[in-house]
Amino acid sequence: MSTIQVENIVKAFGSQRAVDGVSFEVNPGEIFGLLGPNGAGKTTTIRILLDIFKADSGRVSILGGAMTEEKKNRIGYLPEERGLYQEIKLEQCLTYLATLKGLSQAEATRRINVYLERFDLAQHRKKKLKELSKGMQQKAQLIVTLVHEPDVLIIDEPFSALDPVNTQMVKDLLLEERGKNRTIVLCTHQMHQVEELCDRIVLINQGKSVLYGGLEEIRRRFAGQDLLLRTPTALPAALPGVASYEHTNGGYHLMLSAGSDPQAVLAGLLSAGITVEQFEIAMPTMDEIFIRVVTGDSSNE
Amino acid sequence: MNNIWLVFKHEYSRHVLRKRFIIAVLSVPLMALVIIAASFLAARSGYDGRPAGYIDRSGLFANAQQLPVEEDAFMPAIQFRAYTDESAAQADLEKKVIQALFVIAPDYMHTGKVQMIALDSPGSQVQSDFQDFLVANLLAGKDPAVVKRLTEGSTLKIKNIEGNREMSDNNFLAILVPIIAGVLFMVAINTSGGYLLQAVVEEKENRTMEIMVTSISPSQLMAGKILGNLSVGLTQVVIWVLGGVAAINLLMRANPELNMGGLITPSYFWLMIGTFIPSFIMVAALMAAIGATVTETREAQQVSGLFTLPIFLPLWFISVIMSHPNGALAKVLSFFPLTAPITLPMRAVLTDIPAWEIIATISLLILTAVVAIWFASRAFRLGMLRYGKRLSWKELFGRA
Repeated sequence: MSTIQVENIVKAFGSQRAVDGVSFEVNPGEIFGLLGPNGAGKTTTIRILLDIFKADSGRVSILGGAMTEEKKNRIGYLPEERGLYQEIKLEQCLTYLATLKGLSQAEATRRINVYLERFDLAQHRKKKLKELSKGMQQKAQLIVTLVHEPDVLIIDEPFSALDPVNTQMVKDLLLEERGKNRTIVLCTHQMHQVEELCDRIVLINQGKSVLYGGLEEIRRRFAGQDLLLRTPTALPAALPGVASYEHTNGGYHLMLSAGSDPQAVLAGLLSAGITVEQFEIAMPTMDEIFIRVVTGDSSNE
Repeated sequence: MNNIWLVFKHEYSRHVLRKRFIIAVLSVPLMALVIIAASFLAARSGYDGRPAGYIDRSGLFANAQQLPVEEDAFMPAIQFRAYTDESAAQADLEKKVIQALFVIAPDYMHTGKVQMIALDSPGSQVQSDFQDFLVANLLAGKDPAVVKRLTEGSTLKIKNIEGNREMSDNNFLAILVPIIAGVLFMVAINTSGGYLLQAVVEEKENRTMEIMVTSISPSQLMAGKILGNLSVGLTQVVIWVLGGVAAINLLMRANPELNMGGLITPSYFWLMIGTFIPSFIMVAALMAAIGATVTETREAQQVSGLFTLPIFLPLWFISVIMSHPNGALAKVLSFFPLTAPITLPMRAVLTDIPAWEIIATISLLILTAVVAIWFASRAFRLGMLRYGKRLSWKELFGRA
């Protein structure tokens, strides 16, 4: 059974429909990408999911039903609008927020110590939050999200303000959490992170879901008639089934003629005595798909 | 419930354990102490303990008794030396052995004439002590009870026609009680209200709000915040009141004639509690509501001024209320929820307020407090995630 089910939710602020019929399901133990351009309605969707806002219509189910106070302790949330109490010490702030998630004082302190070490913040524990850098504050916020070992993680733009080292650390952390069979909803518009992390995605644009499914399946759906070929052999001027080709860095980009089959092209290459080191269907990047969908360019679909 | 306690603890400890709070709490009694000490010092610096001399030309004070000297008195009574020879007395005066010389005229019994000679201004107490000395000796041999009555005078009590209220001469102290209580109330309201305002806006300013509402319910958060910050203000007031009681006890021990017991009767005490607590909650909830509708602390402070102003209002009209405690203005001010907490106790000292008026006022206060809490939680729920955009009145009063 799905961890999260969202069915046709609608939310309007005044005359503007921020979310206009979004549906998706998140399966247990997967990293689910909630994608969309700025202002698409991602944050509003998350807030409805978490019961911060009530939807005007539609149905939301999380961990097998409507949101309750008890379920709040099983969910970890990293909001896009971030911040922590600036005037108190890091350690004190983390412990307070952890106890609000149902941990005892002693357990909160113990776990926070582990995380502070892991996130390289241990020597800053007595500092006030306002004395920490933006990246450090973001790591502190991640501790708040993870410390109560939630079943569901909802994470909004986790990589902003992080340097490459910390970005990698957070990615490893997310994969590790998935390894523990936790369900993660990752909200971002950094598409290369989506490619590396997400199992399935939904893409929201102007309040509507416009793309939904498994990452590989979607990329395959958007894949065109292009092939990537790596070979030490120089290609002849004409190849059967290939309209044209370009020499690219370390290989060739083949544009197939209409109706030709990639497998037949491969057979043709081999029979022509060309050494094939690498042969693959050119998958569009998520960036390309994103731009294509959002700008309404439907070619190749 | 546990969550309310956690929020309460957080809100309370982060103010109370701070240097700023400790300084604020200690500064008021410290200032009072400095003022008291200064006035004592001023009195003491005018005091001169040297004896004074007198020459009795009337013959009335041949075997004069000195005024009794109390061992631990702050400024003990001056002793008076009898001289017969004016030149010897003059010499002692020049040598500063005595601070002043009194010459009692031969016809003192008829004219009461006494001449005082001093080099420079003598101590502040010498004249009145000499007066007491003369009276005590003139009355020597009379019944001690008569002497005591004559020297202490009468104690005047004023009763109303029904005879169920009375006031004595220390009435001015009785009037001070509601004024002091009112000022303390305002300070507590301002402190708590200010902290509360800040506490409610804070989560919007620092963007912790979403973490909070996805951890606990908005009403738990609000309840914990209101209770926590109210307790900060109450802590401050309780410390001051305890300090004040201790100071009064000290004063009474040093000065037993000052009778301050009986200033606050139990019924009066409960009247104050009954008006202060609901108005405290009412103002706090209004502050919280303001905090929820605006987006920045500075803006919140400006708006909150509108609510604190009416609380001060009765103090501006204090002379009108004192001279006409049952007048129209006094009655209106004691019914209006924002001005009631100061006006009602003040009137209660000066006049008999019918029971129905007290009940009506307190009920109105409780009702306003409940409405204010409802209003605050609604404003909070609607305004909690507005960053940078103020909640409009239309939204507040419109349909949810």
